[in-house]
Amino acid sequence: MSAPTPGVPPVEVERLAKTFYDEGRGEVRAVAEVSFACRAGEVFGLLGANGAGKTTTLRMLATILAPTAGSARVMGHDVVDEPEAVRRNLGFYSASTALYPRLTARETLEFFARVNRYPAGAVAARVAELIDRFGIAEYADARVEKLSSGMKQKVSIARTVAHDPPVLIFDEPTVGLDVINALAMQQVIGDLRDEGKAIIFSTHIMSEAERLCDRIAIIHHGKLLATGTLDELRQATGQHYLEDIFVHFVGGVEPMGRARVAAESRRP
Amino acid sequence: MTHGSGRLDLSILGTLYRYELKMLLRDRRTILIAVVAPLLLFPAIILVMRMAEERNREALEATTFRYAVTGSQAAFARTLIDEALALPPDSTGDDGAAAARFAPGPTGEPDSLLEAGELHLIVEALSAAEYRREREAADTADHAEPAAGGVAVPVLRLLYREDSERSSTAADRLAERLRDVRALRRDRILATRGLPVAPAAVASVEPHNIASAADEGGALLGLFLTPLLVLLLLSGGSIVAVDAITGEKERGTLENLLTTAARRGEIVASKQLAVITVGVAITVINIANLLAYLGIGLIDVPENLAVAVGPVALLVLLLLFLPVAALVSSALLLLSGYAKSYKEYQIYFLPLSMLFLLPAAAAILPDIELRSVVALVPLASVSVAAREVLTGEFDWPFLGLAFVTTSAAALWAARLTSRLLSTERLITAAELERSDLIGGPALFPRHVLRWYAALWGVFIFVSLGMAGVDVRGQAAVNLLGIFLGGSLLILRRYRLDPREALALRRPPAAAWLAVLIGAPSGLMTALGIARLLTTILPVPESMKEAFGRLLLPEDLPIAQVVLFLCVLPGICEEIAFRGVLLHGLSRRLSPVATALVVGLIFAIFHFSLDRLGPTAFLGITLAAVVMITGSIFPAMLWHALNNTITLLSAYYGWWPEGGPPWWAYALSVVGLALAFAILWRTRSPYPGLRRAKRPEAAAAEAAPAAP
Repeated sequence: MSAPTPGVPPVEVERLAKTFYDEGRGEVRAVAEVSFACRAGEVFGLLGANGAGKTTTLRMLATILAPTAGSARVMGHDVVDEPEAVRRNLGFYSASTALYPRLTARETLEFFARVNRYPAGAVAARVAELIDRFGIAEYADARVEKLSSGMKQKVSIARTVAHDPPVLIFDEPTVGLDVINALAMQQVIGDLRDEGKAIIFSTHIMSEAERLCDRIAIIHHGKLLATGTLDELRQATGQHYLEDIFVHFVGGVEPMGRARVAAESRRP
Repeated sequence: MTHGSGRLDLSILGTLYRYELKMLLRDRRTILIAVVAPLLLFPAIILVMRMAEERNREALEATTFRYAVTGSQAAFARTLIDEALALPPDSTGDDGAAAARFAPGPTGEPDSLLEAGELHLIVEALSAAEYRREREAADTADHAEPAAGGVAVPVLRLLYREDSERSSTAADRLAERLRDVRALRRDRILATRGLPVAPAAVASVEPHNIASAADEGGALLGLFLTPLLVLLLLSGGSIVAVDAITGEKERGTLENLLTTAARRGEIVASKQLAVITVGVAITVINIANLLAYLGIGLIDVPENLAVAVGPVALLVLLLLFLPVAALVSSALLLLSGYAKSYKEYQIYFLPLSMLFLLPAAAAILPDIELRSVVALVPLASVSVAAREVLTGEFDWPFLGLAFVTTSAAALWAARLTSRLLSTERLITAAELERSDLIGGPALFPRHVLRWYAALWGVFIFVSLGMAGVDVRGQAAVNLLGIFLGGSLLILRRYRLDPREALALRRPPAAAWLAVLIGAPSGLMTALGIARLLTTILPVPESMKEAFGRLLLPEDLPIAQVVLFLCVLPGICEEIAFRGVLLHGLSRRLSPVATALVVGLIFAIFHFSLDRLGPTAFLGITLAAVVMITGSIFPAMLWHALNNTITLLSAYYGWWPEGGPPWWAYALSVVGLALAFAILWRTRSPYPGLRRAKRPEAAAAEAAPAAP
């Protein structure tokens, strides 16, 4: 694990771009020159509609997609030149991924700690600590395939932080979760921030971003339209609610997107 | 990016491997279907088949075969049949109870009774005259052969139905007994006419097999060992392979694995080890299973079959099959990475298996020897090598070549898998790179090797069908059709500028002088290399003779020979190899690697093992000439001169007996160096060559293409 360099943010993204080439759609610019930084002890929110380029940006940070242009560094390591070092310092959580069904919760944590090069002698203690912290002792030795979705979610978060990385990426972590589990997830992310982790959190749910993020970046059609704290965004737009701020920046609601944005922004 | 590079961390590799196996062993249904089911099903199938066979045999034993006798000579036939059925048990091939099991059938129209199964056999007895008339009417080709040796004896024709086992058995048994009766009658006649010895003692022939049972067993096992092992490795390894990448994709666990700190190389190596482990384990289980059935007599062993495999042969076989296991596992993993789902994997698995089983069965082909071009074909080389080892032949250099070619193929497949794990199509829908979409010249460097692999396939296929065609026909098809035609097709397909792709530029004037010095010197140097190689790898005389015949068609005027074997190759082969191929490769590889690969591919196209070294040398030299002069024309002249000198010297017998003296070779090296010195001083480099880069610059450039 790399030690943080004073004054250098754990995550730095400069003019990062990604273009896909597709038989049907031709050249698709999924991300166009995105720049931001995420500091230690901060939740940096990437707020955008589906297809805005959030996941592509995060996948470039996690080194599973190669940038077409620009650069990104995690704990000072370049995502192109030192992908293994980047991944060692990174925990990546995505709602679209799954756990190995035939491993137990304990084995899952042990596996991810080891392959992420957590010191071999300390793995057992780390696993015990995670089991205790995330309250999975009761089913630690049950196979993942037997667990409920709430239990799996806890194991998934524990596996993301198994090697205690300084940087965490949560890509739409609450998709498909019920309200209770979604709140629990937000609670965990808040706790990890308090421990000093640099957290990048992507979502298309306004209330979540508003509640959890220290700074928010609005991403639309692959471009970052605005970055700042909620107060800064309010001042810049003269709008109070985040959904209004969002609509302000994206320049109105597209016909197909109107119903979705409206539904998501409805408050309890 | 540097996903696949770097030293493998054994502890990471161990963890990945351990968990891969752990997850597989916990998949009870897979284990049950893949391992336990065959262990139980195989004997069950054998038992059922044996029971069916036994029942069938019993039913046949209990059958009384019903027959009818027809024709003008029926009375004679009946006497003969009675005599045949009354033969004592020890004089017949069956169990001697035949008399009891043959009985005249019901009366009526015999043909319909046979059709209806009421009769098993009709014995039609014809007089010699009737038979002859029938034969003449049929007007068959064998009409000239007089029936029954021209002697007027009746002919018995047995009419039966091959689709009925009872009918065909009845015909076989009665025919055998009737032949025995005929032999007895003949012997009696010979004895009565005063033959002084027993008829069996006249010109008796006794074949004597001098091969030991072990030799026979080795030859038989050698035919089937490789395809059997490949089949078991494919089916066994597939259990892990399908889950290893395709399964991870379907479950959604692949992205988590790829975002860990494990290197791509470590992931691929661990998965490959798991595939090999399970493939080998299942192979061993199945072979042990087979041996157990042989041991308890569930499967019949051919009589006197024995295989004596000494420790050296066993070690050689193990070494030969190591790269085979690696190749199979790499290919399965590659398939697993390529397939988007289990369903897609299953669709591709059958063609992949065929692709492996065909070369694995090379040993079955008659007259195929390891000391041939087969040594260069991965898997097929091991198949033939294993057969030779099992029959006690150890052709060490070619065994080494078989090992190397198959290992190289395995390494290449593993590398492809490692690269596949770094591609974005694994986790995104977008499958293309920029050049895929835009096409044209940018795409060609990525496709160049597959084009030449396809051209090689066409070349081999066409060559096999042109055994009887003379040099003119061969030149027209190979040079004009495949090399020139293929090159033009590529130029058109990728919209390449012919001037650039074929280096159609005016060379520096001094280059022509260099060619005049370099071509004879290069040829002599190549011959020196060939002589050196021959001391390591002796070429059989039969091979040299065949080559001589090919090169010197005696019935053609020398001018035509020069045109078809020197001028046309100089033009067409240069366009294909130093033109299009070099253009594509030079945009992917460094100049040195480009020259080496061009030379090697050029040599492989020449399809002759003994000329592999010199041809590769010529190919490398010509590639260097093109890259230094920036033009294809000097290489064309060089190539044509090279062939002309070779041909004319053979035609007019210029070569001294036993080859030129060693100092001549040394002189030729000096000449070659001089030619290249001239070329270098007046160089006009090939445009678009990749320069050697500092590592970080190279990595940065490679990054967008290979994440």
